Amino acid sequence: MVAVLEVRDIWKAYDTLEVLKGISFDVQKGEVKVIFGPSGSGKSTLLRVINMLTPPDKGEVFLCGQSLMDSKADLCKLRTRIGFVFQNFNLFAHLKAIDNVSIGPRLVLGMTKEEANDAAHRALEKVHMSNWSHHYPAQLSGGQQQRVGIARSIAMNPEVILFDEPTSALDPELIGEVLQVMLDLAQEGTTMVVVTHEMGFARAVSSEMIFMDKGVVVEKGTPQHFFQDAQSERAKHFLRKLEVLYGQSETEKT
Amino acid sequence: MVGIGEYYPDLVSGFSMTMGLYLFALFLGLGLGIVLAISRHYGGPIVTRISTGFIEIMRGTPLLAQILLITILPYALSIPAEYTSWQIIVPDIYGIERVVLNTRILLCALALGLNSAAYQAEYFRGALSSLSAGQTLAAQSIGMTKRQEIRYIALPQSLRRAIPAWSNEAVYLPIYTSVAYIVGVPEFLSAATLVVARTYEALLVYFITAVIFLVLVSFITLLLNRIYERIRIPGV
Amino acid sequence: MTRGLPTALALTFLSLLIGFLVGIGLALMRVYGPIELRWISSGYEKIFRGIPLLVLLFIFAIGLLRLFLWTGSLFNALFTASIFALALRSAAYQSEIFRGAIMSVDPGQMMAARSLGMTDYQATRKIILPQALRLSVPGWTNEYAVVIKDTSLVSAIGVPELIYHGMAFSWTYPALFLGIITVTSIIYFLFTYPVTKYVGESMTSKLRSLGLGGGR
Repeated sequence: MVAVLEVRDIWKAYDTLEVLKGISFDVQKGEVKVIFGPSGSGKSTLLRVINMLTPPDKGEVFLCGQSLMDSKADLCKLRTRIGFVFQNFNLFAHLKAIDNVSIGPRLVLGMTKEEANDAAHRALEKVHMSNWSHHYPAQLSGGQQQRVGIARSIAMNPEVILFDEPTSALDPELIGEVLQVMLDLAQEGTTMVVVTHEMGFARAVSSEMIFMDKGVVVEKGTPQHFFQDAQSERAKHFLRKLEVLYGQSETEKT
Repeated sequence: MVGIGEYYPDLVSGFSMTMGLYLFALFLGLGLGIVLAISRHYGGPIVTRISTGFIEIMRGTPLLAQILLITILPYALSIPAEYTSWQIIVPDIYGIERVVLNTRILLCALALGLNSAAYQAEYFRGALSSLSAGQTLAAQSIGMTKRQEIRYIALPQSLRRAIPAWSNEAVYLPIYTSVAYIVGVPEFLSAATLVVARTYEALLVYFITAVIFLVLVSFITLLLNRIYERIRIPGV
Repeated sequence: MTRGLPTALALTFLSLLIGFLVGIGLALMRVYGPIELRWISSGYEKIFRGIPLLVLLFIFAIGLLRLFLWTGSLFNALFTASIFALALRSAAYQSEIFRGAIMSVDPGQMMAARSLGMTDYQATRKIILPQALRLSVPGWTNEYAVVIKDTSLVSAIGVPELIYHGMAFSWTYPALFLGIITVTSIIYFLFTYPVTKYVGESMTSKLRSLGLGGGR
């Protein structure tokens, strides 16, 4: 079975700073991969390399067997099959919520206005934002904006959705609504790659967790592996730090 | 005051000419300005340099010099008189025949338009630059091409952001059209000067001219404010 | 061909200077004055921005010429009248520049000064205004460029600066008119572009794009 995403040996440096040093992993259909690690470990850069928002210096990325590096490949078309949810939402400020979600299907996928609007409505319903479809981003809270951002990705019907620290820019009481949407998506079988600190989420739905530090993959494993029996010192150290930050011991939760 | 009254037709016709020059230059400047701004912001090295060069030159030299230059081009290039001596004559509301268009007027309007384009381009470019990078990333992430991104995401937002600066241009451009007087275009100031020549009431006439321009400026300001109230989007 | 240059430069600097003094006065009136002064300042600015420079020149150099004849010669009278027109107009723009600069000084500065026990007057004079002056620099270089280009218009009232001499020159050599205008334009360009570019490109650029420029 061809993996949905194959990431092969990615290297990326900014000036003299090496941010990614030989990252490789696969994502199968239906998997939820959680990537975590200290800031500066290159996690966000990695996600941007996957849909080529930032091209890598070396390495390759395959979407269902098709290489994204091939300069002949229609990058725009390939991007429609990869969803991306930004830390800062990046909703189109001049469009209402419904238009934000429908512009992709209409303009890029070539649907008719009715088809695109239907797809948009369905997506907004999934994220529980139907009642806000005619609001502008400036009129929505952070959590609401992020949910619209997720709807925007869903409406394109992608093979995989990438989440770049989706809740990091949210006030604490708004994080829950976004995580709930992500949990629903995961439980439906959506293929997801999520960069996050939300260990509760990882514990609940991730198929595999990848711990990154200073540009390399330090350890991979199932949630159980990490929370009960993490091998590397760095992973253990980081998990303990998160415990302190979030005020509860992840390893102690059943 | 009564003496001036005889000259209403001239003044009205001059005023219409001023408005004609103004609107032509404003919209020519708008179209060309957007093109220049996009070239300067998104273009490759050659395109950027050409548009930047044009903008800097038009802004770094006096409007008068530009108008003089462009207006005498046909003569300098020795284009035969048959092509340059055409005129369009239309009777105004008082029945007097007026020259509405000829080579000189057209070239002058063109010069004003090019000049305005350079200034407008800077306003649009600033607006484009101020757009958060995230908008572009989001557009790319759903597979939009660069052209789609410019047309549906960057431009709508930038144009709205450029409104305060652009209003400045829209409001004060009529003032600058008065320079056309120097090359003999029959606009408002030239009509006023005609009245002065006939009535010798220089101070009064020019004072009234000033007042009329002020009223025009205020009117355009109010009009624009009305329009902006209609098209406001919260948060853009 | 550069014969009119000294005149143009003299006009520029004198007008800028007078405009500066009047402009700062207006700005201070607008920011710190009682409501009557604010109205006057605001009105002044609206009026002098809303009138074509040519009309202003005509008012002074033709309508009010009598008032300037005490200066001796016709040339002096026209010259002085031009300075009046240019300066009064520049003052309107300079007051905007300076006012904007004052407003953009970090409000925290005033709070800090007050918390040290300074009076408002002391704080304004020693802390706010010096900073505002520095913030105004890019606006001023822009205004300098504007005024030097504005001086080209005084040729219309017979003051012999660059363009006037250029046109006079071309009566003798009409075929060269195009070339003469081009060279004159280059001279102007050489006086405007390097200055605006040198003094903080990014700030001038930002000001321009916000539409706070001024004349042509």
